Amino acid sequence: MTVRWAAAAVVAVVAVVAVVAAACSPPDRGPRFRAAGATAPRAGGTLRFAVKDQVRTLDPTISYDEVGYYILHPLFDTLVDFSPGGSDIVPRLAARWEISPDGLTYSFELRPSIAFSDGAPITAAHFKQSLERALATPDSPFAEYLGDIAGARDVIDHKAATCDGITALGDRRLAIRLVRSDPALLDVLAMPFTTPQRAEHIAAAGDQLRRRPDATGPFELASWDEGNRIVLRRNPHYFDPARAHVDQIVMLENIPRDTQFQLFERGEIDAAEKLAAPDYLFVIAEPAWQPYVHRAVGMNVFGSRMNVRRKPFDDRRVRQALNYALDKRHTARLLNGTTVPSHGILPPGMLGRDPDLAPYPHDVARARALLAEAGYPHGLDLDYLTTNDEETEKVAASLQSDLAAAGVRVHITVTSWATWQTENGRPDGAPFAFAAWAADYPDPTNFFDPRFHSRSIKPEASTNDSYYGNPELDALLDAARAELDVGKRDAMYRRAERILYDDAPWIWDYHRVTTEVTQPYVRGYEPHPIWMRDFTSAWLDLGPDGAPVPR
Amino acid sequence: MFHRVTRARRRFVANRGAVVGAVLVIGLVGVALLAPVLSAKDPLVSDVERGLSELGAPLPPSDDAVLGTDQLGRDVWARVASGARTSLSIAAIATLIALVIGVSIGLVAGYAGDALDNALMRLVDLVLAFPALLLAILLAALFRAAELTSSTAPVFLTLGVVSWTAMARVIRGKARVLARSDMITAARALGASPSRILARHLLPNLAGVVIVVTAFGFAQNLLSESVLSYIGLGPPPPAPSWGRMLYEGRAYYRTAPHLVLVPGIAIALAVVAFNLLGDGLRDALDPREAP
Repeated sequence: MTVRWAAAAVVAVVAVVAVVAAACSPPDRGPRFRAAGATAPRAGGTLRFAVKDQVRTLDPTISYDEVGYYILHPLFDTLVDFSPGGSDIVPRLAARWEISPDGLTYSFELRPSIAFSDGAPITAAHFKQSLERALATPDSPFAEYLGDIAGARDVIDHKAATCDGITALGDRRLAIRLVRSDPALLDVLAMPFTTPQRAEHIAAAGDQLRRRPDATGPFELASWDEGNRIVLRRNPHYFDPARAHVDQIVMLENIPRDTQFQLFERGEIDAAEKLAAPDYLFVIAEPAWQPYVHRAVGMNVFGSRMNVRRKPFDDRRVRQALNYALDKRHTARLLNGTTVPSHGILPPGMLGRDPDLAPYPHDVARARALLAEAGYPHGLDLDYLTTNDEETEKVAASLQSDLAAAGVRVHITVTSWATWQTENGRPDGAPFAFAAWAADYPDPTNFFDPRFHSRSIKPEASTNDSYYGNPELDALLDAARAELDVGKRDAMYRRAERILYDDAPWIWDYHRVTTEVTQPYVRGYEPHPIWMRDFTSAWLDLGPDGAPVPR
Repeated sequence: MFHRVTRARRRFVANRGAVVGAVLVIGLVGVALLAPVLSAKDPLVSDVERGLSELGAPLPPSDDAVLGTDQLGRDVWARVASGARTSLSIAAIATLIALVIGVSIGLVAGYAGDALDNALMRLVDLVLAFPALLLAILLAALFRAAELTSSTAPVFLTLGVVSWTAMARVIRGKARVLARSDMITAARALGASPSRILARHLLPNLAGVVIVVTAFGFAQNLLSESVLSYIGLGPPPPAPSWGRMLYEGRAYYRTAPHLVLVPGIAIALAVVAFNLLGDGLRDALDPREAP
């Protein structure tokens, strides 16, 4: 008896002491390392980071997810690229370009001495091949992005093998002719799928193309142990040494976020992104970490979509009432202040966003009045679908309690990401659900058109998943899409924002600020609004022995 | 009989550990039963306004929340009290299931002997040979697949089905000794049917052993429930159970240690309490094994 009692007591005491000790004694809560202090970028070293998912394919014509882009962007260069802040277009493989006054013809002049990673020169014909491949490949999600190019329709419909609107003039000139002007074309031409590709490489790689990228960027693939790690090494034939300082980039796959942070603290990886709430709170509580915490408002928007064709959401007053009922400060606090409240779909800094349009205020009385006016004086019951993720579940719980205050009883169903996506994309699927959108390129067309143009309503996988159709908005979006004058375009999108604000097909909630923390010796790095984790210009400020300097 | 009970009680009261265990158990059961009265706050409702810091961090213990708040701004004291209810009731039902299976099999095996005994004990071996936790995970996943997710049923069914073996063994040993006693021989000679012998003669004489294995089984099930909850196979959220609280709070061990300390101490306390109670009962009810 006594032995058992004593043993149990000892175990309990040890456990308590261990936890208290871990909590109270600060061995050192700040970074373990410091920058060595170099004044100019240094070459060399291996930069390591981790992701919680895994890359599905490295075929640029197919790959279309954020994690894939972390690797695709260093592997593949394009004619143009986004500037570090994401707001401007800068030359990459193209040295310069000209746009005809009517906005219909783009002429690119390629940089001299650009090459694939095996040293073979890149020519204009390689660009034509890859654009045509995107048009002709049924699995490619990108064909529609090129739909305004003359002759593109015929290639998409397999009526023609080559696209008349894309012409290679000699080795170093490429011309693209459009049927209608498209101010977002340069944005599209910055996407990895437009990287030059060689037909002979594609033919030789066959079904192994997803593992055999024909690199054109600052890095090339060294190895890929699928599901575990991808290793990139510097491309010896790359033209711009300022974009490849480190020898290698290693991306570990399938590492949960909390584990990533543990690896980071132990110095086994150099950057940890999208920190879990407890880790983020730990980092921001420690002043020594602050210079190495990066925050960036992503090109995203989060909220709740309503199917405006189904009851009770067919009544605009109900939709507005729900917008008034939501307290966006709650979401902000639950997500540790890493949000910007939203009044519509465009994130801060985007063309067409009206910064003077204030988000719906939290006004329970107004919400109740609107509901009563719409015929629901006693409130109503709503089913809500969300995904099984820490963040989305928190947001749903917050929505539930906010709406309850206005008499709206929300019943939450939590499901997998895939089920949620399928449900949203069907007109008869869940009418009320969590909604999220991340844009491919920083242009308002990439927000408005897929989400709210009636053209985007489909019987399956509908990206307009509020099934909102408004001829006035459609006309406005079509006109804005082709408008070349930036000022006029901006005004048109502001009007579109206003229409959607009033019609409220979503409960507008927030734009997410992504958070990332890097080791002090990682320099020249900032998260990119489009590529997110773009380490191409990062360098490692290590000690003379190539190891991090202890703090 | 009366004399025996008095003597047992005297021995129990003289045992300090046993009394501590009993007091703790009564306290825990009290907390579980009175949970809604003990805290004015709802354990399921998050209070973003007052339950979280400006940055959304859980709040440490204060006058407003004696044991602090959790990552959703819920009151930890309300949750741990309500968690006592969840955890103790799951352990209780699971122990009851285990008891029914374990006692029946133990009794039959001990009384019947020979081939049936052999067969039943091999069944016990079979279940024991399989790592209990692995079996529990498997069963919990199966029950989950059977759409029982919205209740605590998968948890107590799993624990009950896993934890009966030890009980069956102990009961069978005692039953075997008793089955060969003069009392049973006499009953059999008088023409009593096996079922009458099991129910009227064996079972009452095993009452002490049953009480002791129940207490130990309870402690074991309480701990197993925490383990299942910790790996995500416990009662579904938002129902508070101690294991789940521990799981949800684990990542906050540096910024909000009360989130692991409170449920951790609750689990340790409850397991120690039931073990002490079981020890005391064994010593009190079975003088031959007392030190």
